[in-house]
Amino acid sequence: MPEHDGLMRIFWPVDVPRSNSPGIIVGWRNSGLDVFVVAILEDVDARSVENALKVGTLFRNASHPIERIYALCGQSAMHVLGLANSPGVEIENLQMHATTRPNLKTPQISCARAATIQIIMFDRPLPTRMQYISLSSISLALGDKSEMAIHEPGSVDAEEEREEMKDRQRTKKLVEKLKFHTVTNHRPSQKELALRRIVNQINCSWELHKLLQKNISLVGRRSRRSLSVSERVVESATTMRDFVLVAIWQIITVYIYPILRRGFVIGLLCHRVAAEALLLVLEWRAKPDYAALKDISATAQQVEIRLQQFCFWPHQYVTLRKRKDDWQSVTDSHPEYIRFYQSLWLVLNDIIIGIALGSYIIDHHEFLAERISEILSLYSIAALQRTIDWLMDWPAGLKLNNELAAFLGDLFLWVIDHWSNCIEALRPVLPHIILFIGFSSFAGASMPIALFSDMLSILTLHIYSFYLASARIFNWQYTILLSLFQLFRGKKHNVLRKRIDSCDYDLDQLLLGTILFTLLFFLLPTVVVFYLTFACSRMAIISLKAALDTLLACLNHFPLFALMLRIKDSQRLPGGICFELRDTQQFSGLFPNVPTPPPTSYIFLKSVPLTFRAMFHQYFQLGHRIRKHYLSPRVLLCLATGKFVPPIHRKNLYSLQYSMLPARRAGIMDMWHALTAQTPAKKSGLYDNLKVNGKRLNGSGRRHYGH
Amino acid sequence: MLTVAPHLRTRRPSPTTVEYTVSTSPPPTLPLRLLLGLTILLRVTIGLSVLLLLYSKFLLSDYSTPLEPYSSRPQLQSNAFIWYLAYNLTTSRLGALFTHLATLTPPIVLLPASFTILYLLSLRLHTTESLLVLRGLGIQTSSSSSTFLSGSTTRFIPTEKIQDIFVNEAFRGFEVRYYLVVVVEGEESVVVVFPRLLPRRQILETVWRGVRGCLFEPEEKAG
Repeated sequence: MPEHDGLMRIFWPVDVPRSNSPGIIVGWRNSGLDVFVVAILEDVDARSVENALKVGTLFRNASHPIERIYALCGQSAMHVLGLANSPGVEIENLQMHATTRPNLKTPQISCARAATIQIIMFDRPLPTRMQYISLSSISLALGDKSEMAIHEPGSVDAEEEREEMKDRQRTKKLVEKLKFHTVTNHRPSQKELALRRIVNQINCSWELHKLLQKNISLVGRRSRRSLSVSERVVESATTMRDFVLVAIWQIITVYIYPILRRGFVIGLLCHRVAAEALLLVLEWRAKPDYAALKDISATAQQVEIRLQQFCFWPHQYVTLRKRKDDWQSVTDSHPEYIRFYQSLWLVLNDIIIGIALGSYIIDHHEFLAERISEILSLYSIAALQRTIDWLMDWPAGLKLNNELAAFLGDLFLWVIDHWSNCIEALRPVLPHIILFIGFSSFAGASMPIALFSDMLSILTLHIYSFYLASARIFNWQYTILLSLFQLFRGKKHNVLRKRIDSCDYDLDQLLLGTILFTLLFFLLPTVVVFYLTFACSRMAIISLKAALDTLLACLNHFPLFALMLRIKDSQRLPGGICFELRDTQQFSGLFPNVPTPPPTSYIFLKSVPLTFRAMFHQYFQLGHRIRKHYLSPRVLLCLATGKFVPPIHRKNLYSLQYSMLPARRAGIMDMWHALTAQTPAKKSGLYDNLKVNGKRLNGSGRRHYGH
Repeated sequence: MLTVAPHLRTRRPSPTTVEYTVSTSPPPTLPLRLLLGLTILLRVTIGLSVLLLLYSKFLLSDYSTPLEPYSSRPQLQSNAFIWYLAYNLTTSRLGALFTHLATLTPPIVLLPASFTILYLLSLRLHTTESLLVLRGLGIQTSSSSSTFLSGSTTRFIPTEKIQDIFVNEAFRGFEVRYYLVVVVEGEESVVVVFPRLLPRRQILETVWRGVRGCLFEPEEKAG
């Protein structure tokens, strides 16, 4: 379909050499007047270039099949798009004349069919450095899980979730309405549809340019056959010594390497089997809706995350290895690469910090044990005892009910006495526990933190049970007071219709109810102070554990690798593209024998690096979730009425840490197949395992890409 | 004087590419440039003096090691030169004044106040927002950030994703403001063009007409 507005769009790489010499412009033609320049070939004839493009001479010695590039770029062939610096030469109607000068930053282009021209200049991303551009931001998390959190039905979160769903439905309806708001029914033109292809073309442009420039000597002047033979002779002569080395290397790879490799694979597999067994234990549930071990304990969770990572790494690594069999311009696996090294780096970092922490803990374990037991007895026993004593004795001038206060206080004090005996019994063992924590930290600093978090929940078990008991008592009293208040008003709560009905009570019923109401009402403050005390200490412990969990989340998920990449080479973390309109240079009169070009706008295309906000997106989500759970009015209401405030479900809290892992881990057999299927494709040996960061160091392709 | 009401500037190098810029900065004249340069100088001076005050406060605290005098002037490109400068600065009369000031202010006042001042100094005077329309590609909104610390935020919307562009009105405080909206296909929220400045209706109408004219190819005549 020819464009009727005469707009010509040219994508022009900035690094195309700006010289005075004539050349042939080669590139993709996306549609009639929509062209993408890949290279300017100098010192060749336009006709022979056209032929070479058709026959494929220019794509000889490509490291990978050129059809892959064709498929990516959505074109079946490259074309000659025009001539550079050769005014006066006859060209086809759709081809263009370009004028470049060393002192001019932008080319000047004219075309017979173009009424206006957009020249979009871009920097070629270097595929060897894994730079690329993309329309949408790179995703650091593995997106195969739904964002929806799972809640037990009837819990606080489930109701909130329902409300959120309602909200979402409402916005969806609004968006549906927005769809009616289309005044112009615009049919997308070919130029608009080409955008995705063009992004791929930009990503492939550097490698294609290299290939074309390498093969330029094959076009035209000399016959191909003699050239290739002579080249081969020269090459074999210069690489005689290399041949010997390669032969020795071949022996090593044929006889020694497979054994090592098989051994390594078997070792990995054994590890995988052990991991599977442990994971099964950690995930075992007595009933489907019961909590598994990993839901209760932070340590179990931490171990599970590590095991899952170990299970996932071989798969990730195999996927990354497949990258070698394709053009480097294929950008599908770059996020996977970042994710793999991100998790690897975090684990190593964790271990390094863990070794430092562990050696400190081991050196000072007795001192630490003493301090911990001191703090424990001071805050969780002595302070609690003093508070209860204070509550039993008219706290802050409040005249509580003496008898009830004494009863409740004695009850709690008695339990605390027993608990302190238990703690005393624990005291001699504590240094050994600390020593154990210290040794565990050689598996990463997250282990002692998780263990400490678990130890905290075990050692403050009595506070938890006090909170449960007092909340229960308070809640009972509160509900009884509510219904007695209805009785006092001469009404009752109709359970079937869920409303308040008026009711004729007998005199004795009313009398007894009112007496009970008064009694309970005057006893309420006594219960409230006890409830408040334990609720506060419970909240303090929960927030301490939340802080520890956040620390764990930081150690397990902090986007360290992404941050480093962002600082080192922000092109590797694309977050979209942006355009910049440049001022037009005045060409008129500069070149006398060139026809005046149509109105031209020069636009620079740049890659926008990923924003820091997007990098920490998951943390914002976590913060939002915690805030929603603990600071919602519903939770405050629960706290006020003595209903049990459930701690946030570990699954929601830890979705952050699982974001790098697949939702369903691959089985043992899958791993075996993945690891062994690779064997026939392998040729060049051990070094392949080392060069994973996108650099090819093979003898044949000795390429040194500069900075 | 340094800022004016939002006004429109148009750059149209070719009929198919337009950039509309709405900005509060007045057209650059020589006195204005001098004035702006002066404000920058003022900012730098105030910023440096705040930093010096903070440094003198740090020297007064227990955590610092006292600076040692240098007998000779060290090499220009060395760490020692920095310490030499710092010593000379803090022992000069100006430094003594700052040290005196630092002793007077408690750290709980000094730290928040100096950080607030540093933040205020990093604020931009002008707000510039623009809309770039490229036929065949799409439109791009960009908005300068409020501080010098970060660049402008841009958002590119391909043409195939644009569902509609229109001018809408909304209450804001006690006034009715008009705003240009881009409806993006498959997104829950619309994109507001010029979100910080919200220019007057005349400007918006000009921009709207320009965008409608420039973005889409003219309809093919029947036949």
